[in-house]
Amino acid sequence: MSFAVARAVAWRTLHNVFTHPSLLIPSLIFPLFFFTAFAGGLSRVRDVPGFDFPLGYTAFQFAFVVLQSAAFGGVFTGFGIARDFESGFARRLMLAAPNRAGIVLGYGAAALIRWLFTVAVVTGVAFAVGMKVGGSGVDLFGLYALALLLNVAALLWASGVAMRLRTMQAGPVMQMPVFLTLFFAPVYVPLSLLKGWIHAVAVVNPLTRVLEAGRGFLAGSPTDVGAAFAAALALAALFSLWAVRGLRNAESAG
Amino acid sequence: MDAIEAEHLVREFKNGPRAVDRIDLAVRSGEIYGFLGPNGAGKSTTVHMLTTLLPPTAGTARVAGYDVVHEGPQVRMRIGAALQEAALDPLLTGREHLRLQASLQAMPRNERRARAGELLARVGLSEAADRKVGGYSGGMKRRLDLALALVHRPPVLFLDEPTTGLDIQSRTALWGEVGRLAREEGVTVFLTTQYLEEADVLADRVGIIDHGRIVAEGTPAELKAQVGRPSVEAVPADPADRKLVGEILARFGEPITSAKGVAVRLREGESDLAGIVRALDADELKVEHLQLHQPSLDDVFLAKTGRSLEGEAPEEEQSARPGLAMEPA
Repeated sequence: MSFAVARAVAWRTLHNVFTHPSLLIPSLIFPLFFFTAFAGGLSRVRDVPGFDFPLGYTAFQFAFVVLQSAAFGGVFTGFGIARDFESGFARRLMLAAPNRAGIVLGYGAAALIRWLFTVAVVTGVAFAVGMKVGGSGVDLFGLYALALLLNVAALLWASGVAMRLRTMQAGPVMQMPVFLTLFFAPVYVPLSLLKGWIHAVAVVNPLTRVLEAGRGFLAGSPTDVGAAFAAALALAALFSLWAVRGLRNAESAG
Repeated sequence: MDAIEAEHLVREFKNGPRAVDRIDLAVRSGEIYGFLGPNGAGKSTTVHMLTTLLPPTAGTARVAGYDVVHEGPQVRMRIGAALQEAALDPLLTGREHLRLQASLQAMPRNERRARAGELLARVGLSEAADRKVGGYSGGMKRRLDLALALVHRPPVLFLDEPTTGLDIQSRTALWGEVGRLAREEGVTVFLTTQYLEEADVLADRVGIIDHGRIVAEGTPAELKAQVGRPSVEAVPADPADRKLVGEILARFGEPITSAKGVAVRLREGESDLAGIVRALDADELKVEHLQLHQPSLDDVFLAKTGRSLEGEAPEEEQSARPGLAMEPA
């Protein structure tokens, strides 16, 4: 029964996203913009002393853009959940769905499929502009698996916020922490080149492990894989509790 | 077994009064139960608790035999609901809404298409079925909402002010459909309304709620009988005959006040009307107006709460938007 509900919710979300460009384009434009701006505009960073990523700056940024697209994909789906609560449509889902956990599952499945589309486009663009990959297919799969977990974690975070606040005005609350967490990781240069407070923040930022491991996969020399997956899984587990409690909160509010 | 049972049901909101205050309900299977009350009386809150959208603060309720708090999934599988605001997705068509609803209810795939077509025809939306709902009128949205509530053939149907905002033609057609569902398909209907006529025409039994409490309950006839007997008002054609007409009417009941003519509360009920006409005719008294007043549910509401319900509805009547007429079932 949960799967029937999840399939229905996912179908409706994806139907709307893929039939209305205004809903699809932002989640596609953001990673492409970041990729173009960072990989293209900052390409000379590869010449900075201490920059030791072997595949060049395009691949260095590609790992970040994949993770960023996954996280933002989850948040954009959270916007949709908030919109559904604001319009009252979520109440229809809560009333019709025998098992309400299926609603969150459905939004999650939609977020995942939506991200897969985005990452396919981003990957295509990256290869088209000559990105080099040192790792094998299995290594690349590792990068995408990390991103997938990040997508789930971001979706669960955003859905928890959406179900608590139940308004589109919750958008910044969903997006800002994700944005800050992403950009307090070593986005532009390796961790070793960061100095001062930003280095201190990056060291404790769980996203740093995920990003470093992702770049390692891309380079074919995986590092910190266990820590990265543990961090991503911990975030997903933590925010699944957050989302379930958000669902209970929404149920109590009627 | 009653289709809907509630015992001492309470809902309190933070920093607010009790929206629902220890109400008891027993709605029989196949019955149309009208839940009548003004805005803010607690009608919708009661529906939200019975449909598992809102947990009660205290008390218990069972719908279709299942507890609304502990057996929510079983309840939701057996109910359909059209709530006050037809929350639809403007980006989906009517047919896509039905497909979504059928999927949510895990209806077998091979049944979905036929059921959607059948319901769209029943509510008169076949031609608009493949148009996006964003372009529907208010009446069309209401009718689609009703169709969505019926997708999985629920034995219990909740309709929260289903005709608010509908033109009279759509309203009458919807009454016909609700009546048919109860009579022909044995669906139990819990209908909230602030329209006296709607409760009177549709409901087998009526509960009147005010300030979160049920102040009266019974069939419309029983409730009216509690208030009193019918009255007759006569306006003589010649004002000079007022006294004579009053004397004749007084033979049939106790005089009551009348702004235009004379009026009496009938001793024997409406059967006295023929006698009054014969007596007036025998004395060759002409009247320009003779009217029998049956007690209304508003009289009942007035008697039970000290306030009239009649003034509550016009605000929404005025904002009523025309919708397409519903096709007969």
